[in-house]
Amino acid sequence: MLAKAAPFLARRALIGVLTAGLLAGSALASTAGAETLTVWWNKGFYPAEDEAFDQVVAEWEKATGNKVNLSYYSTGDIPAKIISAITTGQVPDIAYADLNDFAIVPQQAWKGALEDVSDVVKPVENKFTPTALKGANLYNDQEKKRSYYAVPLKQQALHNFIWKPMIEEAGYSEKDIPLDNWDKYWAFFGDAQKKLRAKRQRVFALGFPMSTVDSDNYYTFNQLALAYGARFVKPDGTLNLDDPKAKEGAIKAITFLTQAYADGLVPQGAINWGDPDNNAAFFSKQIIMTSNASVSIPVSKSDDEKTYHEIITQPQPTGPDGQPVSSLVAVKIAVIPKGAPQVKLAKDFLSFLIEPERLDSYLRAARGRWLPVMPELIKSDPFWTDPTNPHIPVAVKQELEGPTEPWPFVYNPAYSQVNAEQVWGKAIGDVITNGLTPEKATEKAFARIREIFAQYQIAQN
Amino acid sequence: MAKATSERAPPLTRSDTGRQPRKLAPEHLWGVVFVLPYIAIFLLFVVYPVGYGLWLGADWTKLQALFADPLYYRTAVNTLILLLVGVNLKMFIALLLSGYLLQPYKWMPFVFMLIVLPWAMPAIPTFISVRWMLNGQWGLINNFIWTFWEIEGPGWLTSPSLAMGSVVTFYLWKWVPFWTVIFVAGRTAIPKELYEAAAIDGARGLQMFRFVTFPMMASLYLICTVLSMIWTLGDYNTVRFITGGGPVLSTHVLATLGIRDAFEVGDPGLGMAAVISALPLLVPLVAFLVWKMNKEHVQL
Amino acid sequence: MSAAETAPAHAVGKGGIGAHLAALLIALLLLFWTLLPIYNMILVALEPGDSVFSGALWPETFSLENFRIVFTQDHWYLKHFWLQMLNSLIVGLAAAFFTVLIGSMASFSIQRLRLRYGTLLSNTALLSYAIPLSFLAIPFYNILHNYGLLDNLWALIIVAVTFATPYAIFIFSQYSASIPIELDEAARIDGASVPQIYFKLYMPLMRPALVAVGTYALLLAWNEYLYAFLLLSSETTVTVPVALGYFLSSDDSPWNILMAAALIYSIPPLVIYYAMRRHMTTGLTVGSVKG
Repeated sequence: MLAKAAPFLARRALIGVLTAGLLAGSALASTAGAETLTVWWNKGFYPAEDEAFDQVVAEWEKATGNKVNLSYYSTGDIPAKIISAITTGQVPDIAYADLNDFAIVPQQAWKGALEDVSDVVKPVENKFTPTALKGANLYNDQEKKRSYYAVPLKQQALHNFIWKPMIEEAGYSEKDIPLDNWDKYWAFFGDAQKKLRAKRQRVFALGFPMSTVDSDNYYTFNQLALAYGARFVKPDGTLNLDDPKAKEGAIKAITFLTQAYADGLVPQGAINWGDPDNNAAFFSKQIIMTSNASVSIPVSKSDDEKTYHEIITQPQPTGPDGQPVSSLVAVKIAVIPKGAPQVKLAKDFLSFLIEPERLDSYLRAARGRWLPVMPELIKSDPFWTDPTNPHIPVAVKQELEGPTEPWPFVYNPAYSQVNAEQVWGKAIGDVITNGLTPEKATEKAFARIREIFAQYQIAQN
Repeated sequence: MAKATSERAPPLTRSDTGRQPRKLAPEHLWGVVFVLPYIAIFLLFVVYPVGYGLWLGADWTKLQALFADPLYYRTAVNTLILLLVGVNLKMFIALLLSGYLLQPYKWMPFVFMLIVLPWAMPAIPTFISVRWMLNGQWGLINNFIWTFWEIEGPGWLTSPSLAMGSVVTFYLWKWVPFWTVIFVAGRTAIPKELYEAAAIDGARGLQMFRFVTFPMMASLYLICTVLSMIWTLGDYNTVRFITGGGPVLSTHVLATLGIRDAFEVGDPGLGMAAVISALPLLVPLVAFLVWKMNKEHVQL
Repeated sequence: MSAAETAPAHAVGKGGIGAHLAALLIALLLLFWTLLPIYNMILVALEPGDSVFSGALWPETFSLENFRIVFTQDHWYLKHFWLQMLNSLIVGLAAAFFTVLIGSMASFSIQRLRLRYGTLLSNTALLSYAIPLSFLAIPFYNILHNYGLLDNLWALIIVAVTFATPYAIFIFSQYSASIPIELDEAARIDGASVPQIYFKLYMPLMRPALVAVGTYALLLAWNEYLYAFLLLSSETTVTVPVALGYFLSSDDSPWNILMAAALIYSIPPLVIYYAMRRHMTTGLTVGSVKG
């Protein structure tokens, strides 16, 4: 009898263990919900960024006695996490992704999937830049109104980064870069490429991301289009494609990029570049310059004094029309998804995070990759204007003294969809791989943009 | 191996005895008990998510949006290329290789051991390595070309057709070894006596293959091909890590398009619609597989 | 080796030196082709610090520094590398164990106990092949949250078991056809209970198939990326592929360290595969060759 029962008992014990394991898992998860704040955060590009945020979390835990369940996800993975969470309703209390503003938050605000965080933003409204406030003041189609559905934390714009040793090897110095003339500026790098090629170096002049993945490519395109005078969306959220300048600017920007590519000034691989790839190509000195949003390129080398000073950071050159080019500023925002178990705590945490001094020390500890969205921080903290620093003050001047303007998606989430679908990346690719003319590619992109906007009609009142 | 071969001496009468009504009560009860864990898994982790997925994706407007996207047709063609060209080429090469690897040279086991490496190594780092190797600027291949001729090599990942070719090539690199192993096993399971008998009948060389190997392997080959098509349809890693769908979204397959639509475009319903659009292809394949396997089962 | 021993008659030793040379040439080409991407991994892993893109075709300066960094977890992305290896190992072994257990129980019930509707059930199991793995990511995310299993290694184990079990049932059913049912009947006449037959008779005879399927499940779980990053979150619960994924969105691009980590990560499945390789070949196909 016993011998017969033994295997059965063994199996039952096994199933018991399995069930216990499952139950333990769920018990853990449910007790965790009681007084713990679940935070999903974009993993930084270098350790100091994460350490800076860890610091804020530790301070908040100490100040309130609550616990934070903090998870970092890589830039590539976190949009999938946030979208799965919102789709299934199984959301964290706070979600921050570098791509939030570009491709996620405006649409989710439109769908009514985010908590209104006016409680957090309103009390300190006067401290933010107007661009930052626009970036957080989003339209909710369920309630047919605009409100603060996101908390602005930090910002970025597109800067140009150049290797000093490379242009010196080509026989120039930093002062020779003609920052005041659009055409000469870009021709300068082509010339440097020619000189270096003559020395049998396999290098390229311009590291423009031109792919259909990630965000650097659409940042580059939209900034160029703006330099050529194209504005695709009006501040009231309606399309501006009938403005001849919009079409002309788009065509010129596409022509500019694809011509540089065809002329062999941009590496072939650039049509596959994800966000880290132009950085990698730059660091390996295959490209003389690259355009990149935020100052992560030099800042990630701040431990390496020599390299840090070999990189030149520059704003956009004077525009084709001889006027200063307005910089597209992207405001990085955190959100509380609807259905978050700890809305009150989440708001408390975000308010804590944006207390000016704390926000300043957070951004400074992150070494200035992201710039403050509160002008007073620039004035009160010499870190941002330190004249001995070759990068941060340049970026601060470009992003906070202007001229700047927000991305079109703050006016209408449809443009965030345009980014997510990579409409412009496809247009550029159509010219390069499918032989379309820039005019045709632009018309095709316009047609798609019209279709997308048709799904996002903002009530005008 | 020899042992297993003799073990499976087919009890030809079993399909007759198998249908006897011999379901005694305790045995029947045990039958239910033993199958319960699988049924639990099936209900909790297959039926529920599939139902939920269908509910998410069975949205006519999403399907319409999907079909209106020119990218979808490109993706469908790529998927078919991988399924028809990739899988069949893979199976054919594996069949040839399995014959080659059974040649009785002393060094052959060593070759066999190394040849399975691509399959035995984790997919993601090896595909990342392939991606770098093919990179136009700093990849091993174009570096080689630059070192010797000082010209830029082909854009393995930047021209749409070369990129799709690269996907198929390294899909073969990764998966030929697995199916070669299967076919080697299949070939070794063919009773030697059959070859001896054929030899007595005067068959040689290719005739051996035509009259012995091929008929014996035909079912295995067919089943493996269909199974592989089904698996390949869900293969996300190959395209994701070799080309990332680029250039200009020209190398996506349904598995990667579904994930792109769901997470990059931010429309999970559209992503599920991409999955559902594969059903007309998938259902017949699976039905055929189930039918074929049952038929084999009855014959065993 | 056994492959050579059991080689079909038609392949045995015809042709002289010429055929041998041709075979060797083919071997060389095959090895070149097979090893090229792996050589590239090793090449990158041996590059010191900044010269990932140096363009060298062979390592000019041979450095094991990257392996040291991985071993001592001396990099930001690798702070928990060994813990993540352990996670991968736990998930792999548990997936193998439960796949084999549940699959063998089910196929035992269907094949040996002739469960009513057993064929229907195994067909249904086969149907779940039809679900490409990557397609159920979002539904899985939802249900595993409902079950409270997110960021828990069980989540990944369940995924691997769910997707490996239909295959297990198929292989086991095919394989068990080679074990005469008369053995069961004889045992029953001797008074053996059903569990005794399962544990003492069925399982030992099924060993090659069990090992093959177990290895298959282990490799499946070991390689899983999509579900791993979706279902697991903290750096201390993720498996190695997710941690390797961190490298891909880094500005720093320490890709040589990534490749060193990837090579170390490749070793366990290689060892397991080579240890089990005999069983792999017999277990996977023996039932499906028409005899």
